[in-house]
Amino acid sequence: MNSLKSIPLFMAILIVLAGCANREILERTSLTTLLGYDLAEDDKLAATAVIRQINPDLESKVEVQSATEETNRGALMKIELKTSKKIGVGQLRVALFGEELAKKGLDDSIHALIMNPEVSNGIYLAVVEGKANSLIESKYKNITDIGQHIFQLIDHNIEQNHALSSTLHEVNRDNTTKLTNFSLPMLKKQGEFIEISGIALFNEGKMVGSLPSEDILYAKMIRNDFQDGTLELTLPSATLKMESTISEEDIQIAIDSIKSTRKFKLVDTAVPEFNLTIDIECLLQEIQSELRVSDMKEQKNLEKQINKKIESEIKRIIQYSQEIDSDIFRFGEQYRAQNRQAKNINERWHEMYPDMKVNVTVNAKVLRDGVFQ
Amino acid sequence: MMNNKLQVTPAQMFNAPVLFFVICKVQIGVGVYGFQSLVYENAKQDSWISIILSFVVCHLIVFVMFKTLEMYDSNDFYGINLDLFGKYLGNLLNLSLMLYYGILFFAVIQNFSEVMVTWVFPDIDPSFIIITILLLVIYTFTGGLRVIIGLCFIGFFLPQWMLAILLYPLEFANINYLFPILDNDFISLLKGAYAISFTVVGFEVITALYPFVKEKRKAKIYVHLGLLYTMIVYLFVMLVTLLFFSGEQLQRVIWATLSLFSIVRLPFFERIEIFTVCFWIIVILPNLCVFAWSAYRGFNRVIQISEKKFILIFTALIFVGTLLVKTQFQMKVINELVGHISFYTVFAFPLVLYFIALFKKKILKR
Repeated sequence: MNSLKSIPLFMAILIVLAGCANREILERTSLTTLLGYDLAEDDKLAATAVIRQINPDLESKVEVQSATEETNRGALMKIELKTSKKIGVGQLRVALFGEELAKKGLDDSIHALIMNPEVSNGIYLAVVEGKANSLIESKYKNITDIGQHIFQLIDHNIEQNHALSSTLHEVNRDNTTKLTNFSLPMLKKQGEFIEISGIALFNEGKMVGSLPSEDILYAKMIRNDFQDGTLELTLPSATLKMESTISEEDIQIAIDSIKSTRKFKLVDTAVPEFNLTIDIECLLQEIQSELRVSDMKEQKNLEKQINKKIESEIKRIIQYSQEIDSDIFRFGEQYRAQNRQAKNINERWHEMYPDMKVNVTVNAKVLRDGVFQ
Repeated sequence: MMNNKLQVTPAQMFNAPVLFFVICKVQIGVGVYGFQSLVYENAKQDSWISIILSFVVCHLIVFVMFKTLEMYDSNDFYGINLDLFGKYLGNLLNLSLMLYYGILFFAVIQNFSEVMVTWVFPDIDPSFIIITILLLVIYTFTGGLRVIIGLCFIGFFLPQWMLAILLYPLEFANINYLFPILDNDFISLLKGAYAISFTVVGFEVITALYPFVKEKRKAKIYVHLGLLYTMIVYLFVMLVTLLFFSGEQLQRVIWATLSLFSIVRLPFFERIEIFTVCFWIIVILPNLCVFAWSAYRGFNRVIQISEKKFILIFTALIFVGTLLVKTQFQMKVINELVGHISFYTVFAFPLVLYFIALFKKKILKR
């Protein structure tokens, strides 16, 4: 067999063999873009799937199906019985969990998702206030594809720093170690709309508490460094000695383009005690029109008030997370990273966490205030 | 000296700089899929130091290998074995060396098909994938050494874009996972280095390729450069992995690199890891050919046989072998075993050989 003759032979064998693999034709597959899980009777799992049917001739159709079964896979199989096409989960974007299920624990559901190689590590997880099923199956006037809609909703809010990132990978990362706990955004049906209503805090896979949406940016300040956030603050007017003629007790200001960097320093390993310093650079976006920040002194005073306000909010949030024993801010990681003696910290961390002390210092800097004083 | 000198015609030879690509290529194989958790088990957050350590050892071994090879002006380890240990013991050693290359070949192909089946085609028969690859190997192998070397060259450049893709997961990086630095004792760092034996081996093919290098004196530099490059790649992958995964998570992930790819979402490509798994065939094909060729060099000394016949017998044996392995757990056991075997063959054996060769030379001089 000389090599010139053998080329076509090999090619022929290859083509014949390559044709053997299972084909996945787009028109004959339906793509699951959203999965919702709820707790059903007898500890069963009720799965709701948003399935996108691709049709070459007509517009693609979105279909919602649900089924109840013991396991994740079992429920999906039951859904398959109800659809005319093969279901693929490779395009899954979001997985939602009902509040009840979240309170019972998500460990198994998350593990099932992470084990499945078909599911991407980058899908978003979220908790639904009430039942996931009713949120998905409701009719919304302005939403045609609910799977895509919820994905966009979560995705752009994370990008805009209005929600904490909750990809499957991050959740799994925080959940596998005992040093940290994870948090998920909470979704809520609000009439014709779906909104992000806050964050759900977890401990060992169980939802133990929640924070309203106003607190998200503060939580983000502790968790990450970020750029471009927006914050609304209420400051007591008495402390602001400006050329003000107003008599209201509180004044509202809004700061924008927040650039926040944080620093943790472990000062006492026994307690444990942290010094948390947050540096903020921002732009004054809104302030009552009567108020004018015209000289350096007033600016400094305003910054001081902003610092005080943010400090107290952050302290409150950390305290709340300690009360419910959910370390979503990864203090445990910081402790391990800064303490060489912390070899077996994994087992002990949650005993120490409620007693942890954090000294918060915020250094806000108003860089500029728009184009008009 | 015995009559085991090789007859290498100039047409069969290749230039020394090409060795750089060959070494990089053979070292980076299926091991990259999941070597991180193996190191992490021992060396924890200092795993990257273990990688540096293991490559320092590699450089030393290559140095020793060349010292041995240079004692004989143009011979490979097979010939040196025969010269030093005589016909019977020498052939026995050669047989085990051939067996080693066979095992390496087997492990690579088996790991690849395992990944393929798990990630991309869950309902395909692994034998089908293996047959496809073996056909490709046969086809390339019959082209001779220069074709294999050429394939190494292509196989080096084509997958480089994957390193850039690995920058995406850094979005989720957490620098705390690297601290505290050097918190593990030296023994566990060494253990970590030992755990990746299977991942770093491959450069020992130089002991079979040496007679075919044109500029023998320059060969050394390019092998060392190749090692250096591989180290940078591994170090990079390890650091990204350490930053991306939490420790406990990393210990449970089976193929950390693929999980890294899994989070990347490109605008035109939703699931890049599926593509990389399939693309990996370009990465492993040259490796398989080089390993098969190295085994052939040894076989040829015992029984004169044409390349075509050899590769048919060789692949048939490998295929039968792969039929015996069915589950992920068996695969894990085999990988551990291959790790131990490769450590002794690549890191321990050349040292022993060097001292024996040195000893013999000294005695003959007297």
